[in-house]
Amino acid sequence: MNVSPEGALDKNMKVLVVDDFSTMRRIVKNLLRDLGFTNIQEADDGSTALPMLQGGDFDFVVTDWNMPGMQGIDLLKAIRADASLSHIPVLLITAEAKKEQIVMAAQAGVNGYIVKPFTAGTLKTKLDKIFERLA
Amino acid sequence: MSIPMTGRISLEQAKSLVELLESGQQDEADAVFAEIQSPINSELFAEIGKLTRQLHDSLTNFQVDSKLNDLAKADIPDAKERLNYVITRTEEAANKTMDAVEAIFPVVDTIAEQVEAVNPSWTKLMNNDLDLKEFKSLCLDIDTLLKNTGKETRHIHDLMTDVLMAQDFQDLTGQVIRKVIDLVIEVEESLINMLTAFGLSEESTEEKILPRVGENLVEGPIVNTEKRDDVVEDQDDVDDLLSSLGF
Repeated sequence: MNVSPEGALDKNMKVLVVDDFSTMRRIVKNLLRDLGFTNIQEADDGSTALPMLQGGDFDFVVTDWNMPGMQGIDLLKAIRADASLSHIPVLLITAEAKKEQIVMAAQAGVNGYIVKPFTAGTLKTKLDKIFERLA
Repeated sequence: MSIPMTGRISLEQAKSLVELLESGQQDEADAVFAEIQSPINSELFAEIGKLTRQLHDSLTNFQVDSKLNDLAKADIPDAKERLNYVITRTEEAANKTMDAVEAIFPVVDTIAEQVEAVNPSWTKLMNNDLDLKEFKSLCLDIDTLLKNTGKETRHIHDLMTDVLMAQDFQDLTGQVIRKVIDLVIEVEESLINMLTAFGLSEESTEEKILPRVGENLVEGPIVNTEKRDDVVEDQDDVDDLLSSLGF
């Protein structure tokens, strides 16, 4: 994984952005670019994301919850269950806001939970926190 | 004809049977005989008759009421089209806006870079610390900077106008959504009428009807967080919840 020795996140890390709405993928991609990330790929569903992850050394996943094929929570569980993928940090960005769901995600091993609508500042804060903790 | 309290036939019935047969009214006599064999509670019979008539009338009313038919065949497909239209227009607007914004970012960054580039020399000038050669060079740089900034700020202005115009979707989608709300109200009224006509609607004021959820409790964006106690209102609530559980 591309985390430099000081624990600061390596902006060259390969990120996968997953959301069934292309406008949301575009927003997240822009925000990540603004924060210095340059190596970003996209998937439109959990079901298309999983093979991409299995195919190739991603370092970080940002995903929506509510997607028609495979939901984000199920993608998260699949990542944690796969020995080659379980180390990848996962950030949920979603409109799902029930307390039960938040707990569900935490128990499934999510690294961060952002509710929509969200701000660029929130995204930065959560990213910093996630990679701080992993150092 | 009264039903005997004990026994299977009453004197009254027997007399009437004989009378009918003597006067040649065979059908009527058969009817009395049939009733003796399997007595039907006449009250129950009348009640069933009434319900059957009511049901028949209600069904006939629905058939002649074309409103339901219109709702199903025309209005609801129309509503689906309208909502798809809303998705399309809002997606278009979002993309147009993001196109403009993505075009503006590098322009603004370039201006910032160019200003940064002349800053050191300018600072030296302000401190009376610049020789003539450096001064001439600085003048050329600033001349370029001024021309570029002038051009780029006009460019930014145009892009900002594009962003403004892209918001026109709201008026159109707002109108379309209002029409769909009207349709939903009509469907709601028709359903309530139908339920009432068949005596199926019950007053259940205590029961809270929760919105439909899917797998893993998914519900989409919550539009009335103040009325719910099972949802968080904002990011701070999320963070508090997670840290209170040790995550």
